[in-house]
Amino acid sequence: MVFSSIPFLYYFLPTVIILYFLSPKKLRNSVLLLASLFFYAWGEPKYIILMIISILLGYTFGMLIDKHHGTNWSKFYLALSIITGIGILGYFKYADFFINNFRVVTGIDVQYLNIALPIGISFYTFQILSYTIDVYRGQAGVQKNIIKLATYVALFPQLIAGPIVRYVTIADELDSRQETLENIYFGVRLFIIGLAKKVLIANSLGEFCSIFADSTEKSLLYYWMYGIAFSLQIYFDFSGYSDMAIGLGRIFGFNFLQNFNYPYISKSITEFWRRWHISLGSWFRDYIYIPMGGNRVDKYRWLFNIAVVWMLTGFWHGAAWNFVLWGMMFAILLVIEKLWIGEFLRRAPAFIAHIYVLFFVMLSFVLFNAADLHDAITSISAILGFNGAPLITTETAYYVRSYMVVFIIAIIGSTPLAKNIVISIRDNEIGAKVLHIIEPIFLVLLFLLITAYLVDGSFNPFLYFRF
Amino acid sequence: MLVIIILRGFIMKNKNRYLPGLLIVAIVWLGLTLSSWFLPLQDVSISERRKLEQLPALNFDSILSGKFALNFEKFSLDQFPFRDSFRRLKAISTFYVFLQKDNNDIYIADGYAAKLEYPLNEKSVISAADKFTALYNKYMKEANNNIYLSIVPDKGYFLADANKYPALDYEKMFEIMQSNLDFAEYIDITDKLDITDYYTTDTHWRQEEIIDVSKKIAEAMGVTDAILWDYSRKTANEPFYGVYYGQSALPLKSEQLHYLTNPILAACTVYNVETDEVTELYNIEKLAGYDPYEMYLSGAAPILYIENSNAKSNRELIVFRDSFGSSLVPLLAEGYQKTTVIDTRYIDSNLIGNYVTFNNQDVLFLYSTLILNNSSTLK
Repeated sequence: MVFSSIPFLYYFLPTVIILYFLSPKKLRNSVLLLASLFFYAWGEPKYIILMIISILLGYTFGMLIDKHHGTNWSKFYLALSIITGIGILGYFKYADFFINNFRVVTGIDVQYLNIALPIGISFYTFQILSYTIDVYRGQAGVQKNIIKLATYVALFPQLIAGPIVRYVTIADELDSRQETLENIYFGVRLFIIGLAKKVLIANSLGEFCSIFADSTEKSLLYYWMYGIAFSLQIYFDFSGYSDMAIGLGRIFGFNFLQNFNYPYISKSITEFWRRWHISLGSWFRDYIYIPMGGNRVDKYRWLFNIAVVWMLTGFWHGAAWNFVLWGMMFAILLVIEKLWIGEFLRRAPAFIAHIYVLFFVMLSFVLFNAADLHDAITSISAILGFNGAPLITTETAYYVRSYMVVFIIAIIGSTPLAKNIVISIRDNEIGAKVLHIIEPIFLVLLFLLITAYLVDGSFNPFLYFRF
Repeated sequence: MLVIIILRGFIMKNKNRYLPGLLIVAIVWLGLTLSSWFLPLQDVSISERRKLEQLPALNFDSILSGKFALNFEKFSLDQFPFRDSFRRLKAISTFYVFLQKDNNDIYIADGYAAKLEYPLNEKSVISAADKFTALYNKYMKEANNNIYLSIVPDKGYFLADANKYPALDYEKMFEIMQSNLDFAEYIDITDKLDITDYYTTDTHWRQEEIIDVSKKIAEAMGVTDAILWDYSRKTANEPFYGVYYGQSALPLKSEQLHYLTNPILAACTVYNVETDEVTELYNIEKLAGYDPYEMYLSGAAPILYIENSNAKSNRELIVFRDSFGSSLVPLLAEGYQKTTVIDTRYIDSNLIGNYVTFNNQDVLFLYSTLILNNSSTLK
């Protein structure tokens, strides 16, 4: 089930909200857990068992780690937790990737396993690992109530596409949280805005990208517009989903951390990764990069650490070499910034820094979205003007004209301009009162428009669903 | 009732500045939710001309396989309350807010709704030509038939390029068909057509506007003198909303559907080989159906025999056609004692010989550019 669907918006969510707020407080975690299991089983009836097993393993290892705290047994159980978690993830997500590469390298005809990727496995595996690691480090208290731990892992707002919520972030809220009208209102507001980002903007840009992919008359302009469109699509898709997840969490009294902070206004790749998919970046920083020594090692070890972390970051996104290359591309850029051009970027005119970031991020996403390496090379060569494509074609002109307003809205929406305007209106007493009255009306109209797009369309999965 | 009591208690307890806003959102959302759950289910969509998905069967297999979830998604979309109004809202937003040029590939130009058909699928056109050639080789090569080819341009021929929409390379399509069907005399009817000869909300042409087209084809086939070319125009009472009306979801105006008749045409009979039924050329009952255009020859059928007992000669005509032929063939049928109408979308070419003997007839291949560009439907 996806958030941007009629079954979720008009069947599942209203039912869950009604049941949740009708339930006594001590039963609300159970309500959320059952709802979350139903939510997951709706899309993955077969793999619900796998998630339950992962939760039970996480719970058991957490208890054992805590019981043997300070001893080698604790470390042993942590290692088991990591091995089983990564092992399960590796099997379901990467087995055929390794088999394929083994076949290519050795020429031995090993049969593919053809395993379907369980939805959300990358997210809930990382959440469970963050829990057991934090228990081991003493940063989180063990959760002895299996219902509460399961609720944390399976919580439907962030289950299938993040953000990756650290256990410590919501540990207290699992025990006691405030579902205030203010929180509910802000949660609903954020949810509707996230839904608009996904349905009205991301999906429209996705249509453009599909039309481009099917086109037999690709031009230089068409390639550039595709690069821009996909970069915007993935931002609005993913940040829209994160907004929905955070908004839903807030309705139920949970405060998830921000996952996107206007990454396209960054002036360096370093800054970009502090603003893009923050929960993933911080996970890799805290659980891989820093334990490896981070940057508090000699230069060559530091380069190695960067390469490993970014290779894994890319690999986490998908079982294909273009994802690994995508990660390595950022590793190279980060190293270049750290060693040579960081200071230049800080002092350069803002527009130069912005163009530098947007250009390389766009190229990275073209690589990210490519069907394979050959497709990636073709697309990037075309963007750089190396494939002899015409400057423009009739088809390009038509679709650029047709989607121009969507592009403009998306570009403006990817900056804090709208937010800053709203803030400045709110700073004024009369403005605040007016906004307070028209905002809910605007949200209702937006919600009706979103519903209209959903009713007219059909299935619209999120880009990150494969993770 | 329980919900209202709890809400009331909640409101009394929580006088809060956010409550009014939350209530506004909640009332609209809850209203639509309850409508989704409790409004009676609809069987068909008139505007979309199709049956609507019903509640899927709930069983262990359908749940485990994921089929229930998939079908419930379709059901929830199809049965959403005020569906047509929401689709209209989306269409209006697409065209007038986001200023996009088409909605679901439907565009409006010069007051006409048309479907984007682009680019030219050369493989498809060649495939169609190959299929027609195979028919010729199998049935007509030794059979002393006079063979003709005519291609009906879709609305995009007149609208697309002129209004800066992507357009098919029509000239290339015509050239491919002519060069591959060198056994057929090509009848170019594009000079007899303009956009006003088509319905504004439908893909098809208007029968009352294609008399010139019929004359040109009849002239090529040598039957002009066998047709009176004198008709009375009848008008359907029901307003006509073409196929693009539903697809565009825009508030387009309805049109009137006309048909041409005279005593000779009124006396013709149409035998449907598949249904074993005999009807008239124009099936008035179809005017009240999902697709009023089906009143011409009762719509799609694999093989029809049109008998004209008042024909001036005993000439016979065989027409391989798509839906555009439904409204043109009655105008040609007046010139023949028997007209066999074949739609190879509904019958395998290899079976045609069981129903039709090819010997000394005029044979007309009459297909639209839309079918030729998507010829996988031809069997």
